[in-house]
Amino acid sequence: MGFEKFLFYVFALITLWAAGMVITRKNPVHSVLFLVLAFVSSAALWLLLEAEFLGIVLVLVYVGAVMVLFLFVIMMLDIDIATLRAGFIRYLPIGILITAVMAVEIFLIVGPSNFGLEAFPAPEPAAADASNAADLGRVLYTLYLYPVEIAAVILLVAIVAAIRLTLRRRPETKFVDPSRQVRVKKGPRRIRLVKMAAEVAVPAAVSSAQPGVEENS
Amino acid sequence: MIDNYLPILIFILVGILVGVGPLVIGYLLGPRRPDSEKDSPYECGFEAFETARLKFDVRYYLVAILFIVFDLEIAFLFPWALVLQELGIYAFWAMVVFLGILVVGFIYEWKKGALEWE
Amino acid sequence: MIELWNALPLVIQILLKITAILLPLLGMVAYYTYAERKVIGYMQVRIGPNRVGWRGLLQPIADAVKLMMKEIVIPTKADKTLFLLAPMITIAPAMAVWAVFPFDEGLVLADINAGLLYILALSSVGVYGVIIAGWASNSRYALLGSMRVAAQIVAYEIAMGFALVGVLVAAGSLNLGAIVEAQQGNVLTWFWLPLLPLFGVYLISGVAETNRAPFDVAEGESEIVAGFHVEYSGMAFAVFFLAEYANMILIAALSALLFMGGWLSPLPQGWTGGIWVLQDGFHWLLLKTFFFMFVFLWLRATFPRYRYDQIMRLGWKVFIPITIVWILVVALAVVYRLPPWWSA
Repeated sequence: MGFEKFLFYVFALITLWAAGMVITRKNPVHSVLFLVLAFVSSAALWLLLEAEFLGIVLVLVYVGAVMVLFLFVIMMLDIDIATLRAGFIRYLPIGILITAVMAVEIFLIVGPSNFGLEAFPAPEPAAADASNAADLGRVLYTLYLYPVEIAAVILLVAIVAAIRLTLRRRPETKFVDPSRQVRVKKGPRRIRLVKMAAEVAVPAAVSSAQPGVEENS
Repeated sequence: MIDNYLPILIFILVGILVGVGPLVIGYLLGPRRPDSEKDSPYECGFEAFETARLKFDVRYYLVAILFIVFDLEIAFLFPWALVLQELGIYAFWAMVVFLGILVVGFIYEWKKGALEWE
Repeated sequence: MIELWNALPLVIQILLKITAILLPLLGMVAYYTYAERKVIGYMQVRIGPNRVGWRGLLQPIADAVKLMMKEIVIPTKADKTLFLLAPMITIAPAMAVWAVFPFDEGLVLADINAGLLYILALSSVGVYGVIIAGWASNSRYALLGSMRVAAQIVAYEIAMGFALVGVLVAAGSLNLGAIVEAQQGNVLTWFWLPLLPLFGVYLISGVAETNRAPFDVAEGESEIVAGFHVEYSGMAFAVFFLAEYANMILIAALSALLFMGGWLSPLPQGWTGGIWVLQDGFHWLLLKTFFFMFVFLWLRATFPRYRYDQIMRLGWKVFIPITIVWILVVALAVVYRLPPWWSA
């Protein structure tokens, strides 16, 4: 048990440190990267809890997708961090007070009196070939099927909302639709050679004209 | 079960070292002669005209959001794929409903042109 | 702390095994660069490098030494920490993925039950190196290139994820060793046949994920110079290069493992007749991986580059519908136990 405890403390300290760095860095990209570190060490903590599937999916979805979104937005927005942080010191005392109140509340609710080893004894370590994901699947798609379908609807709402809020047609850009390009068929109607009359009258005595001086009709 | 993850932890640390090692070797062996012309960012031979930050292009944001949604779909598909043979045809139809709802979203994206030119 | 000490010899053991995986891998990466130049050279009716050493075989070593001696130029106003962090973030996942890779039956460093998921997660982390490299370079070409590469990688990651879900439905386990076991039989029971569209999607997505031709528009030397790593020189550039080739070898090896039966022999058990070479073994995995590595080079030498909007169209509008439909088809086949693959 000793080595696992040591790992737990290492990852927990990394998570706390990274979380502290997120809110104190001046550079927003650094903050996002520290948040990524916090998530990765949280995933390690979940792996220590034998929540294998959730830990890896945390990295896959949160670090791999959501943080990429954050990075995209922060990199393109060019936030002027100095003006945003102007009032930081002024609000620091009340910030610390609220943080302390929240920490005490969290400790009282989630602390050892309610969730300690008397109320919830440590579970058996899982068998060596137990598949966490399969266990989850067995429960998700039988008992909790309805919440899964509701999750699908929530994702649908997210898609529709994102598109409605951000998609803007730019009518002046001309672009070629690759789908139409791909569907061309060989044949006589693909290319048309059109004979056109000359738009500009060519002056008769071109050879003796001065360079750069020509009649335009 | 988690005993198997110790090699992974060590491997990740070794992987980071494989990244640090060449950089250290490069610093030790390579010359270091900073020069204002050499260090200026590349812009086809000219000085940079504006700051390197681009105008915010909302298409990247949209691509990232759609990626999140589809990634979550994949995360839901993984446990289902594992227990499909056990649970049989009911699980199949459950997933058809799930995928159907998300395919509706996909068709909406397609029709609205969110998947176009980027 | 006593427990820490007891764990130490195990750690040493693990470190030795890691070295046994990484050293050949890094050697293969170095000689893959040589093979690329030679193979593409011969395809273009010319000899590749042949000056350094016998037939040019010392070329990768010469390249490595050259890159070590070059100065690592850090551009002005670039974010120095992030500039140097980006190559590390790119190569760490490319190396760490090999921890769960089974080279033969039971020959795997970390036999976890979520191997495939782990591989997908680490590939997702790989996109950070690209984005940070582009941003940290303080160059608008690098930033533009990196944003486009990131959007491309992200689109093809979805297609790859769906293809892997298809493999999962067919195999019934996330453990890579078990996936290979599920393909027991002969060459016709491997997954490339029932999952043919997914195989194609996986291979092409793999090419697109590693930014190889014909999907290398954001790295295209003739367009935005080198894209997101235009400001990198010397060993920092070498690390990006290493990571790219390591990823290519990974995709080739995964295709061999997931779709072509890994270390299984193409002949059924009865036909091998006791000849050692014809039976299951690591050499088959190596052969199949080399074949797919060759396919990567072949694609580069043969096809012109795709345009960026064509790439995005392929990833979103073509691959995702194909993979979703095929997952449902395979799911039906698995549930109704269609022979010959799932009749057991």
